[in-house]
Amino acid sequence: MKTKIKEYRGRYNLTQERLAELVGVRRETIIFLEQGKYNPSLRLAYNIARALGASIDEIFIFEEGED
Amino acid sequence: MKQRKALLAAIIIAVVLMVALASTRQYYIAIALGVEVLLVFRREIWHLGRYRRLPPFDERFQENAKKAARNSFIYMSVATVFLMLAYAINVDYVVDYEPFQVLGWLLISGGLVYLLGYIFYDRVEPKLRERELKRYWTFLRIAGIGFGCAITSIFLHNVIGRFVGIEEPVFFVIGVLLAPTAMGVGLVGSLVYFIKGLLRKQLPEINQPDDERIQP
Repeated sequence: MKTKIKEYRGRYNLTQERLAELVGVRRETIIFLEQGKYNPSLRLAYNIARALGASIDEIFIFEEGED
Repeated sequence: MKQRKALLAAIIIAVVLMVALASTRQYYIAIALGVEVLLVFRREIWHLGRYRRLPPFDERFQENAKKAARNSFIYMSVATVFLMLAYAINVDYVVDYEPFQVLGWLLISGGLVYLLGYIFYDRVEPKLRERELKRYWTFLRIAGIGFGCAITSIFLHNVIGRFVGIEEPVFFVIGVLLAPTAMGVGLVGSLVYFIKGLLRKQLPEINQPDDERIQP
């Protein structure tokens, strides 16, 4: 799964630390999400999308053929 | 909030148990319990000391902690069964130690297994490539099989020696030479990949806003 978290963070000048605080997770979680190495729960995906002022499918791009 | 209460309750119970054990002069197990608490809750204690608040218990932390706790539980269950077997057949180098000493070491090693498991799922696994991850698990399996073979062979060697009355050579060679060698190779191999993943710099060192900011 690819994400546009980094891109959207840039728009709002949000650091990983600040976004992590906003959605109540650790910075490492944001890092691994940005690298596509962690699949978030629907709740976390929703919280991140809301914090970045976008919808879930704008932030998280699910690629065909993935588990 | 639930996790915070659970953490507080676990630490209070551990402290009360340590005081009770120390008052009955079971110092080994009291110290072991203290070390266990430090190992398991080191992240929370460190965060509390540095930032004056508990770290977020996010879903990724919970997933990794659950997996690490499962590994630690499996390890302690298997180790307990082996220790009971050792006591049942009077294996000299286990029976020589006081049961409380053995229990203390079991607790400390259980805490270490938890800690290593947590670090692996949290920091190492996401940074290893697929091929490296496969090799890591293969080495770990070799170490596990070596360990199991060593203990089983020593057990069988002792049982045959005790009940048949002969100095049995095959299980002795497996238990003292072959299985420990396999275990050593497996441990070193998996440790190499563990350290490789841990030291691989994929995470940015400092979270500077200016470095990260992307121009839209």
